[in-house]
Amino acid sequence: MQVSLKWLKEFVDIELGVDELAHQLTMLGLEIEKVTRPGAEIKNVVIGKILEIKPHPDADKLVVCQTDIGESNPLQIVCGAKNMKAGDIVPTAVIGATLPGGFEIARRKMRGIESQGMMCSARELGLGKDHDGLLILPADLPIGADAIPLLALDDVIYEIEVTPNRGDWAGMIGVARELAAYFKLPLRLPDATCLETGESAESFSTVTNDAPDLCARYVARIVTDVAQAATPLWMAQRLAHAGQRMVNPTVDITNYVMLETGQPLHAFDLDRLQENRIVVRRAKAGETIRTIDSEIRTLRDDMLVIADAKCPVAIAGVMGGIDSEVGENTRRILFESAWFAPSSIRKTARALGMNTEASQRFQRGADVEMAAWACDRVAQLASQICSAKVASGRIDSYPAPTEPIEISLRWTRTNALLGTVIAPDTQKAILERLSFKVTNSSDAACTIRVPSWRHDATREADLIEEVARMYGYDNIPATVPRVRKSEMVYAPEENKTRKLRRYLVSLGLTEMMNLTFSSPEEISKAGLGTSSDNLVMLQNPLAETSSAMRPSLIPSLLNAASLNIRRGARRLHAFEIGHVYRPSSTGEDQPSESARIGIVLTGLREDEHWGREKSIVDIYDCKGVLENIFNQLRLTPIWSSFNTDTFTVGHAAKAEIDGVSAAWYGQVATDVLEKFGIEQDVFLAEVVLDKVLCKQSENVVFRPFSSFPPSMRDMALLVDTSVAAETLLDNVRKSAGKLLQDVRIFDVYAGKQVPVGKKSIALSLIFQSQERTLTDKDTQKAWDQILKSLQEKCGATLR
Amino acid sequence: MIDTINELRSSALAEIETVASIRDAEELRIKYLGRKGALTGILRGVSEAPPDARPELGRVANELKQTLSAALDERVAGLKAIEEQAKSAADAPDLTLPGRRASQGHLHLVSQVTDEIIEIFAELGFQVATGPEIETEYYNFDSLNTPDDHPARDSHDTFFVKPGIVLRTHTSPVQMRVMERAKPPIAVIAPGRVYRVDADSTHSPMFYQVEGLLVDEGVSFSDLKGTLMHFLKRLLGNDVKVRFNPHFFPFTEPSAEIHVEWTSMRGGQPHTRLLEIGGCGMVHPRVFEYAGYDYEKYTGFAFGMGVERIAMARHQINSIHHFYESDIRFLEQF
Repeated sequence: MQVSLKWLKEFVDIELGVDELAHQLTMLGLEIEKVTRPGAEIKNVVIGKILEIKPHPDADKLVVCQTDIGESNPLQIVCGAKNMKAGDIVPTAVIGATLPGGFEIARRKMRGIESQGMMCSARELGLGKDHDGLLILPADLPIGADAIPLLALDDVIYEIEVTPNRGDWAGMIGVARELAAYFKLPLRLPDATCLETGESAESFSTVTNDAPDLCARYVARIVTDVAQAATPLWMAQRLAHAGQRMVNPTVDITNYVMLETGQPLHAFDLDRLQENRIVVRRAKAGETIRTIDSEIRTLRDDMLVIADAKCPVAIAGVMGGIDSEVGENTRRILFESAWFAPSSIRKTARALGMNTEASQRFQRGADVEMAAWACDRVAQLASQICSAKVASGRIDSYPAPTEPIEISLRWTRTNALLGTVIAPDTQKAILERLSFKVTNSSDAACTIRVPSWRHDATREADLIEEVARMYGYDNIPATVPRVRKSEMVYAPEENKTRKLRRYLVSLGLTEMMNLTFSSPEEISKAGLGTSSDNLVMLQNPLAETSSAMRPSLIPSLLNAASLNIRRGARRLHAFEIGHVYRPSSTGEDQPSESARIGIVLTGLREDEHWGREKSIVDIYDCKGVLENIFNQLRLTPIWSSFNTDTFTVGHAAKAEIDGVSAAWYGQVATDVLEKFGIEQDVFLAEVVLDKVLCKQSENVVFRPFSSFPPSMRDMALLVDTSVAAETLLDNVRKSAGKLLQDVRIFDVYAGKQVPVGKKSIALSLIFQSQERTLTDKDTQKAWDQILKSLQEKCGATLR
Repeated sequence: MIDTINELRSSALAEIETVASIRDAEELRIKYLGRKGALTGILRGVSEAPPDARPELGRVANELKQTLSAALDERVAGLKAIEEQAKSAADAPDLTLPGRRASQGHLHLVSQVTDEIIEIFAELGFQVATGPEIETEYYNFDSLNTPDDHPARDSHDTFFVKPGIVLRTHTSPVQMRVMERAKPPIAVIAPGRVYRVDADSTHSPMFYQVEGLLVDEGVSFSDLKGTLMHFLKRLLGNDVKVRFNPHFFPFTEPSAEIHVEWTSMRGGQPHTRLLEIGGCGMVHPRVFEYAGYDYEKYTGFAFGMGVERIAMARHQINSIHHFYESDIRFLEQF
């Protein structure tokens, strides 16, 4: 809602500075989004009169005008507009003038003809969006006079965010009423009485209300003998400042009254209504109407329409029909001012994808009592501007007048909820200023009646908010409460995850967060299956490429790798902790989501450094991160091979804990890399976070260590290349006896020095006893046992 | 004789003092103190002196021997130190070369700010709670007093999975999930991803919010103000200017928007603007009805705030999209 300060001052005597008023409105809940001064940048624009229009000799689209600006010679101006004729009064920017945006007017040649200024459209002066032609002004303006005051360009426009609860703020009167209440000033409403000279309205038309549940009130006024006229400048200015497009005088009048009162109105050409009458009813299923935007709309049977004797002539509260639209030849008009049920309007507007000035206001709740006043006002303006005759009386279908609701307020409750000490008298005065009628008042409480425009006030808390607003949020003290502790732990896994995140950072990995959207194509590209049946799909995605919720972190990780490589990163060691999504496996509507860790490694192992060899990450860097994580969580997974289309065959493994898949890692397959535009090795890992966090053992029990010296022996073996390292280590542990403290592989080699089909593995064995210093004999015995077992079970030979 | 000794002393000491290498110093030792040295000769000559002068001569000559020996030792030690220093200096490493650093990981800026927020509220006694990102309309809207026909739904451009199932548009559904699980007193803080159908330079379809909820007997709007003031001072500094202006949210009454005055440098000039932090208010009695709480006995406050907005202002980040693009040149700055 754009509020003109000049217009506002017609209703209430505000004497605040421009910025102060903006602040005060905000502190009342009318948040100011922008303050503009449309004329602040405009200089040297005067009233001009077009004397002559001639075609441009060298340009079809231009004309050459002689425009009188009250000086001895008229200005020669080359112009591209078409809507003017000789004799029209137009705003004219002379040489040296400035227009909004700092645009300066200079003498220049247009296709060989000198142009000595510019005649302006409404938009060029910051008056709304109209740029179809020149702004044609009333004929009686003084030629040569400064246009700024005459066009009210010296106004201030407040752009206000109207919250969904306050339909009344979508009108000037509503805003003025709020200020009047706060500043204890009188509210001045214009006189809306109209001179009724015609026959009774009922003799021209009737209103049948077949849907009183959706239309509580339907007020109509008839005007006849509508003459052709122009919208007066003062009205045009206000419409422009409110951002309203000009249409024709009758429509402009209805828009003007809507802006004034917040009550949307509609003008029907009475002679284009079948049997000249109105029927308020639900649409028939499949019934159609062509609305004024020329679109054909197909209606549902729960939608409210305004019909004539035969068919719908308007979608109630949303948009009128083109067939009953008022135009230049309209002589008799039926003005509609109604109250439609907000939820019905909202459903209809949403179902039809229409969001109009009228529907926005009706769905916030219009003022049922204002409907009659607004209808009078629109008829009055029609008679003033279009010299129309107003038929006597209103047609007013108001089958069950709305009873104001009553609410009780306990004075102590206000102070308890706000943490204030506001006296009952103060509370009462505030409510009364806001037109809440106090019907009953005691030391403890009062009962009030809610005014017809305050649909938002339905219970005590709403009244307390009114007191708070008027008392001023700034005047409410600030206290830090003593928070009582609860024993409940709501999200133990979240606390663990936060620690894990920091642990991963300590491993040198950088955290990233990716958008959680994906698409069936992308998921298939990543080798994660092609069916969209087991994906969570969005009904209204921003784009096809973000139509699904990701079922895995892998697409996100690949995208991140691709983006960083393309942008020249030489090293990417990153992780994400985020959710993945799948349709519920138990048939519930709500999909399941679970947290995962994703890891991506590519490029250099370490930042380049003069003191070490440059090396590229390999699969053991990736496995190492997983081992670190499991070690940190004190879990010992069982590793086994893992086959998916994402990874190169034989270059991936998965980890299980208690038979449940907990993690996997691998080298990304070449065809997958290609699809993501990557030309270097990438290693990925995923950890099913909720599966591992719930397994995490809470408490570490101390293990005493030996005070006797350890004894270290190495063992170099030759084994078949097919023998897994893990098999060797298992055998070592099983055969060594209790003296073995630790075993590590310190070298692995296959190549020239080793027979074909064999590899050399070197073990470092550490023996230690809790009770005594070991002798060579002790360690040799254990060493021999280990070797024997490896020879028998793994076909190993000493190297 | 005594004169000869004294002459020898001064010339020898002068020589020792100026000798430039250890080898030359050792030659001086031989020259004066060696078997054929000058002093040795004098000592031999003592026996030829008159008997009464001999003790004195012997004493002086011996004293000179010790003096010269000590002077030579000192000079040699000094020369040794100089030679060693020169040797070390010659093979000194270039200490301006970069050291071997461990590879540094970086926590995402959103995690950093979220953690900061959680820490401040944890000190006040708030606990972390969470909820699903794919929510039912019941938790995201209806139970928060936002029925289907409520115009407030217009400000939440919602992603739908199917009728009744949405990507949560705010973290507020966690309020209801917590209240269903527990009884007052409740003090929780709930961080998480939220979604809106919206994408431009200041909007991302996915972003982060932190929700807060306190429910107990006697909780008031002044407690809400005080708690948030305390929080914002801790987060942004003690001189932070905070504005609470009336606003509308269906699930709080009264409601407020929280802004802080934020000054940043633009083209060398300080530029002050209001930065919207989030919304807050007293839990609406209708919400308590949905939770099955007695709203006469309990009151509560709730708030929600955007994480990126705080981070963007504090670190002068020009586009929200940097957060979720995963360019390490962004991630490694924080």
